Amino acid sequence: MRVNITVNGEARQVDDVWPGESLLYVLRERLGLPGSKNACEQGECGSCTVYMDGTPVCACLVAAGQAEGREVRTVEGLASGDTLDRVQQAFVDAGAVQCGFCTPGLVVAAHDLLTRTPQPSDPEIREALAGNLCRCTGYEKILDAVRMAARS
Amino acid sequence: MIIGKPLDRVDGPAKVTGAAKYAADQHIPGLTHAVLVTSAIARGKIIRIDTGQAARSPGVLSVITHHNGPRFAYQPPKHPWIYGQTHVPLQNDVIYHSGQIVAVVIADTLERARYAATLIQIDYAVETPEISVEANLDKAFIPERGPFNLRYEYRRGDAHGALATAPVRVSGRYRTSMQHHNPMEPTATTAVWDGDHLTLYETTQALAFTRQKTAEMLGVDQKQVRVVSPYLGGGFGAKGYVWPHTFITAAIARSLGRPVKLVLTRAQSYTMHGHRAETVQELSVGATRDGTITAFVHSAVSQTSMLNEVSWEEMDATTQLYACPNAELTRRVVRLNLGTPTPMRAPLSVGGYALESIMDELSHATGVNPLELRLRNYSTHNPENPSQPWGTGKFLRDCYELGAKLFDWPHRLPRPRSTRRDGGWIGVGMATAFHPTYVSAATVSIRMDADGKALVRSATQDIGTGTYTIVTQTVADALGVPAKSVRFELGDTNFAPSAPSIGSRTAASVGTAAHHAGSALKDKVIAIAVADHRSPLYGIPAAQVTAADGQLFHRLDPRRRETYADVLRRHGPVDSEAVWPAAPGISRSYGAVFAEVTVDDATGEVRVTRLVGAFDIGRVLNAKTARSQAIGGMIWGLGTALTEHTIVDEHLGRILTANLSGYLVPVEADVPDVDIAFVDKADPAASDIGAKGVGELASNGATAAIANAVCHATGRRVRDLPITPDKLL
Ligand code: FES
Ligand code: FES
Repeated sequence: MRVNITVNGEARQVDDVWPGESLLYVLRERLGLPGSKNACEQGECGSCTVYMDGTPVCACLVAAGQAEGREVRTVEGLASGDTLDRVQQAFVDAGAVQCGFCTPGLVVAAHDLLTRTPQPSDPEIREALAGNLCRCTGYEKILDAVRMAARS
Repeated sequence: MIIGKPLDRVDGPAKVTGAAKYAADQHIPGLTHAVLVTSAIARGKIIRIDTGQAARSPGVLSVITHHNGPRFAYQPPKHPWIYGQTHVPLQNDVIYHSGQIVAVVIADTLERARYAATLIQIDYAVETPEISVEANLDKAFIPERGPFNLRYEYRRGDAHGALATAPVRVSGRYRTSMQHHNPMEPTATTAVWDGDHLTLYETTQALAFTRQKTAEMLGVDQKQVRVVSPYLGGGFGAKGYVWPHTFITAAIARSLGRPVKLVLTRAQSYTMHGHRAETVQELSVGATRDGTITAFVHSAVSQTSMLNEVSWEEMDATTQLYACPNAELTRRVVRLNLGTPTPMRAPLSVGGYALESIMDELSHATGVNPLELRLRNYSTHNPENPSQPWGTGKFLRDCYELGAKLFDWPHRLPRPRSTRRDGGWIGVGMATAFHPTYVSAATVSIRMDADGKALVRSATQDIGTGTYTIVTQTVADALGVPAKSVRFELGDTNFAPSAPSIGSRTAASVGTAAHHAGSALKDKVIAIAVADHRSPLYGIPAAQVTAADGQLFHRLDPRRRETYADVLRRHGPVDSEAVWPAAPGISRSYGAVFAEVTVDDATGEVRVTRLVGAFDIGRVLNAKTARSQAIGGMIWGLGTALTEHTIVDEHLGRILTANLSGYLVPVEADVPDVDIAFVDKADPAASDIGAKGVGELASNGATAAIANAVCHATGRRVRDLPITPDKLL
């Protein structure tokens, strides 16, 4: 089937999509946007988090057809040119990135949190990001990064 | 000096924007996709495997089973290091464990391969699997020492005699769980042949291992294999050795004549590349009434697989950490119908948990404060070799002091069950962290171009620890140029051969080679400048010229100076290469970890409310990445203490928790405030740059500190990890 999606502000048309494919597969394998990561494919880890019509979703749980006519924004669409988004910059500054595999999903999730709650409390940050697993950092610096981004 | 500074990760921007390309992110024209079919039973034989429907399914290019599977040039031995396992799947009809590879489907798209894989019909002759360590203790045996020199038996003095006569004796039986590494990045292999040359885009912690063993299995020369891995999404041991999925994918790609990509599902990652072995340990300590230890007797049994003969759960802390004249250590294995164990972040932490728990029990038995008890038994010499002083490389005393102060340890109430808050008991505990210091040979090459920028290369890995950044800093310092003038490329066997990223050795090993390569290049450029009459440095003895901020200058008359770029514009690019052979050191790394927990009365749930770690990791190369490593390591230890447990069905031998909702890794909401301190004193015996390993050390200690805190809170000693609520109710 054919799917039309606006991805990072650009209208994209994807052909030969199998209806059972996930949005994550379409982004990664068909649209050349491997930034969103596949770490579990069943909604458990948050590595594939993207915005769909402004709401963060696990792209691995969205069927390609469900994305028809929607607006998708991925980690590749957050920076403007060479200028990192404040959340991305804060992740670098705070040392919240290690292997970086969880990072794209976390950056989108944190970006969403700060859009909804510009000055989150620590428990709000912990709660909001509890669905994004990271095996490297021990989370402490991720918390710092979100606090830092909220201040900037 | 840039070394030691909290320089931001040089790979940070690529990772936060999604630009960093991991193994599964490579775009290869004409790519085909492999999907594995795995055994539904844990022991027995395949009596019929019907692939007809799968082979006729749309898009399918090939279906591989043991009937038509690739035949290999080599069979790994029973101690297969640096292969992950002895068993090579797809060679015959025997099933050794559930989740074993029994078929592979290759199709033009992933979804078509997946669908076809569901069409394969298999009939098995099922036998009853052995899956319990406890039930097989009577069959435990001591493995042969393999090439890795794992130590299974050790004695000094008369441990049993000393234990029998000790005024205070404490014994414990400790159990630790089977655990899975679960790096966030799933394991992936993409094999691309060009004639008889293979390129592998691989998730590997050791490019050289992958190259060497894939070549050996395929019967080709190592030079025909190139392994590429510029970014790795964590590994923790799961990607350390060479496992069958890699060479099977490469062999299939060869016979198919097309590039093949295989990405393991999360569930498959539970049976394809090892796990931490379950252990049952008996540990006894004998001491005088004032807590001076006279004997340790430690015996451990851990699981191995049906064909392998190895245990990675080393327990050297028992025989090397505390001064104690009599010690005995025995490690045995039992064969189970489960996959093959492999090292998982800090293999020593399993024995370390038992040791640091029994120290806490001894503290209760003698009434000596846990910290004081450890100081009373402090070793200044290697207890295994009294003629070998630990010398200037051991700063454990500083760790105890720094940590105790940060945690406010002296003000704890010694009696268990003495503090309450919000419907729960509060407890504090501490433990020592101990880890050997490993190093490997490493080579680093540098080319500096006419613009004064240095391109540094080494066939090593950055598994997330910060290799990119640390090597950049080290070379910048050695050359005397700003960090932005240095670009480091790694993750490709086309570069100079270098260290694997296992056993916390990358920074010390590659960092040292980088330092020497940088110094050599600087010396070359200085030699060129002082011999060149066009240079302001002409005629100055080379020893009197040095560099800083990209400028070469006369030490005695700094006005005589020019930039690297000035010299190289006249002379063209300059190269250097340094090999560090990695003299085996005698160092260890140390730490002291302190934990505070709350145990809920009603639910038995343990919450860690505070963690403090003070670590002796030699010279700190980057304050930011080292800190991140230390925090990550301590939370790793928290997972082992409280949540992580691979559960196996006791009849079927299948892993029941083969996903991230059944296997609980710590999440953001589980994590307390963490405080870290580093002693930050160089240990020249560990590596020429004075650095020791961090990652594993820091994951060692937190588990026992938390378990000890739970005992202090509740008065109950749980000797069985993880400490889940049911064990406290
Ligand atoms: S890959 Fe989508 S939640 Fe894990
Ligand atoms: S940085 Fe590696 S999983 Fe988060």
